[in-house]
This record gives sequence, structure tokens and C-alpha cells, in this order.
Amino acid sequence: MIEFHRVSKVYDVGPVRVPALTDVSFRVSKGEFVVLTGPTGAGKTTLLRLLYRDERPTEGEIEVLGQPLTALSRSGVQRLRRSVGVVFEDAKLLPGRTVYENIAFVLRVTGTPRRKITARAFEALRAVGLSARAQAYPTQLSRGEAQRAALARAVVRKQPLLIADEPTGTLDDAMAAEVLGIIKDIWAGGTTVVLATHQSRLAASLRRRTLVLEAGRLVKDEG
Amino acid sequence: MLGFVFGEAMRDLRRAGRVAVSAVVLISLSLVAAGAFWLLSTNLGRAAADWRERVRIIVYLKREPPEHEVSALVARVRELPEVADARYVGKAEALTALKRVLGKDAAVAEQLPSNPLPASIQVTPTAAAATPDGARGLIERLEGLPEAEQVEGGVEWIERLAHWRRLLESIGLGVGAVLALAAILTVTTSTTLVLHVRRHETEIMRLVGASEAAIRLPLLLQGLIQGLLGAWFALLALWLGHHLAAPYLEPLMSLTIGLPRLEFFPPIGMLTLLGAGAGLGAIGGWLARGRRGAV
Repeated sequence: MIEFHRVSKVYDVGPVRVPALTDVSFRVSKGEFVVLTGPTGAGKTTLLRLLYRDERPTEGEIEVLGQPLTALSRSGVQRLRRSVGVVFEDAKLLPGRTVYENIAFVLRVTGTPRRKITARAFEALRAVGLSARAQAYPTQLSRGEAQRAALARAVVRKQPLLIADEPTGTLDDAMAAEVLGIIKDIWAGGTTVVLATHQSRLAASLRRRTLVLEAGRLVKDEG
Repeated sequence: MLGFVFGEAMRDLRRAGRVAVSAVVLISLSLVAAGAFWLLSTNLGRAAADWRERVRIIVYLKREPPEHEVSALVARVRELPEVADARYVGKAEALTALKRVLGKDAAVAEQLPSNPLPASIQVTPTAAAATPDGARGLIERLEGLPEAEQVEGGVEWIERLAHWRRLLESIGLGVGAVLALAAILTVTTSTTLVLHVRRHETEIMRLVGASEAAIRLPLLLQGLIQGLLGAWFALLALWLGHHLAAPYLEPLMSLTIGLPRLEFFPPIGMLTLLGAGAGLGAIGGWLARGRRGAV
């Protein structure tokens, strides 16, 4: 499903070269739930961005869903991203659209036939327990609800891979548990999950395979 | 997808608000300016073409040739490459024509002891020869005929008309181009504004793998809609201007350049203006895409 082979990523900040990842290698099998953890600035977000080709590696090879990402064309990137759901620490919901419209928007821009949009959007909303809030605007949602809506948007196309970058970072314990519960349900449905968190306690509580990053290096792969 | 693109374009137009309205107004102004000059130059062009068709060069003959020599003389003139047609006018026919022109004063001609009018050949030059240089060359050839006494005719004033037409076209193009540039910049600004407002949507669209067409076509379409609206208003303003001004201008034009009717654009001209407006808007939308394409 995912393969990193000696991947390094260096950012050029003016004349300064800032290494974000150094010589990282690992594999994730289909249907796995992998937790990526490490302190802030360890390279978690960079690693996730490499997964959906928001960044290119400086060195090394990456394969996601059977596709080598290094030489992917623009349309290849589009196809890849249609197979990958992404959620962030902030939900990134579109403020001028209702929860339903936020989810339908993704289906519309990726060419889903109009007759199927409503059914699929509500199916995703039911999966995250937000059907009743479909007509609410993002400003009317709690942070937990907003993150659940973002999750619905991320999996509405039944993507085989879900990438979650600090999905509980701004949530209290109860809301975080709720969101993690939904992510586990999604995983239980067959979706491969890569979840990044800097909260080591949370990472431990998930009891899944854990990759630990420190200063851009993969220092531990356990579980 | 078409419904989505159109829906997003309309949403973007509403977001651009006053800037979009400014763009429409500027496109209208640029097309009104260019269109007005175009309309004038088209009508002047019609007058010039009409006059060119009526250009005649008269070869006055030294003496009236005997009847059996006339057809050979006319044939020799017709053989010249710059001649489209030639017609012999005998002394008697010339006098009849004079009497017709004199009308009720025709009796004056009756008083003449003899017919003083010379026989002549009326030469119609080809289109290529109906220019100052062409006409000069033809006149020189006709003056070379042994039977010719004097050759009269010229096309300089028609060329002056054509020159005015070209001048009007240039002014129209110049003014229109400056305003068109302003219009393109305004559309670009309004589209850039929209791009800024919708940057989160663009981010999400790229994140979920939306095609470039889904991301960019609404921008292009909203520019195109602004352009079409501007062109439509310009056409309306031009039609109204023509409708109101024509009754006052037509007598003047008829008197000065013999143009009895100031015509409005034919359907193809109107389509060209609409196309120009759509093009201006689309260019504006496209340029904005270029500036913020990587959002």
C-alpha cells in the first residue's frame, strides 16, 4: 500500500538547507492502522504531505497504492489524490457552504454523477453521526463536529487510504475520543489509516503499529 | 461538470461584486469606442467603394471618327489591361446629354450655331486601376492614343475618403485598444480577487484531486460572462446611438459624400463585437489564472 525507500526531504530556505526527513524507509500494508508520532517539528507533516504528493522527496523512492510518486504526471497526481482522504488539525471546511455542501462539493469537483451525490454525502454524514447537522454552517459546529464533518469529506469517495494529520490536536479528551472512534470505524471498514499525532499518550492508547520520528529520522517502528 | 462550472462562475461573479461591474463597464466602454469608429469607417468605406465603382475617365477625341472606325477605336481602348469597360459617346449624344442636364434651360443649346461638344470615350477603370497610381498610369496610356485630344479624370479625392476611413479605423483601434487593456486588467483584478476569496476552495479541490478544468474553467467562464455582458451593453449603446444620430447625420453624409443611409452593423459585425467582448473577458480570466495558478 505504502512504501518509503530511503526518503529524504530538504527544504531550501533562501541559502539555508533545512532537512525535514533523512533516509526514512518503511512499508505499510493494505488495511493497516499506523500511528506516526514524534515531537513537533520531527517531520510528521512533511512525511504525510509526501504521501499525497503535496511535496516531492529530495532523495529516495515513494510508492503509494502501487504507484511510484516520483515521476507522477499532473493527472496521475489527481488520480492519486482521489484515492486518498486527508484530514488536518483544523477541519478546513469551506465557511460559505453547509456541512452537506462541503461534502457534496468534493463529489461534484471529482465528477461524481449528480444523481449519486446526495445519497453518498448522506451516507458519509451518517457514518460520522452528523446527518442531523447537514444544513448547519461550519461556524455553527463545535470543533468536534467540524472534525467529524472533515472526516466525512475525507472518506466520502470511499478512498482506500486515510491520512490524518493531528486530527485531535485542538480537541478536548471527549471530542478526541469521539473522533478517534470514528477513525477506527473507518479503518475497520477496510481503509488503511496513517494518523500523525505529537501526543505520545494518545499514540500509545491506540495500541497500533507506531512509527516514531525524531529530527526527521525514523527512530522506532514498533507494534 | 458543466453545471458545476457554470454555478461556480456565477458564484464567483457575485463574490467579485463591484469590481466585476467595473470590468463589465470598461469592456462596454472599450467596445463602444472601437465599435463607433468601426461603424463610421465601415460607412465611409461603403461610400468610397460606391464612388470607386462610379469612377470614369473621359478621353476627348480630336475629331469625331467615321462610324466604321468607332468600334475598332473602342476595342483598342478595351484591350488596355487597366480598362474594365469603354463606351463611345458621339457629338450628338453628348449634346443630348447636355440638354438633359440643362433641363428647362436646354433651349440655350439650341441657340448654338454648331455642336461644340467633342466626341469622347468613357472609360471605366478596373478596380486595381481605380487608385491614384493606377489611374495616373491609365491616363498616360490613354493620352498616348493618336485620336486623343485631352484625357480627364482622377481618383485622388476618393483616396482621400479612403484615407479618412483608415484614419478613423486607426483612431478606433487605438482608443479601443487602450480601453480594452484597461478592461482586461480590470477583469484580471476581479478574477484575482475571486481567486483570493476562493483560495480555500482551490486548496480543497487540489487536495481531493479535482481536474485542472474543474479548478480553472469557472475563472475563465466568469471572465467570459463579464465580457459578453459588456459587449451586449456596448451593442445596445451603439444601436441606440445609431438610432438617434442617423436621422441628423444622414442628410449631411448624403450631401458631402453621397451616402444616403448610415447603416448599422450586419449580424456578422454584431457577432464579432460579442466575440471581442467574450475574448477580452476570457483573456482577463486567463491572465488571473496565470498569476495565481499555483494557489
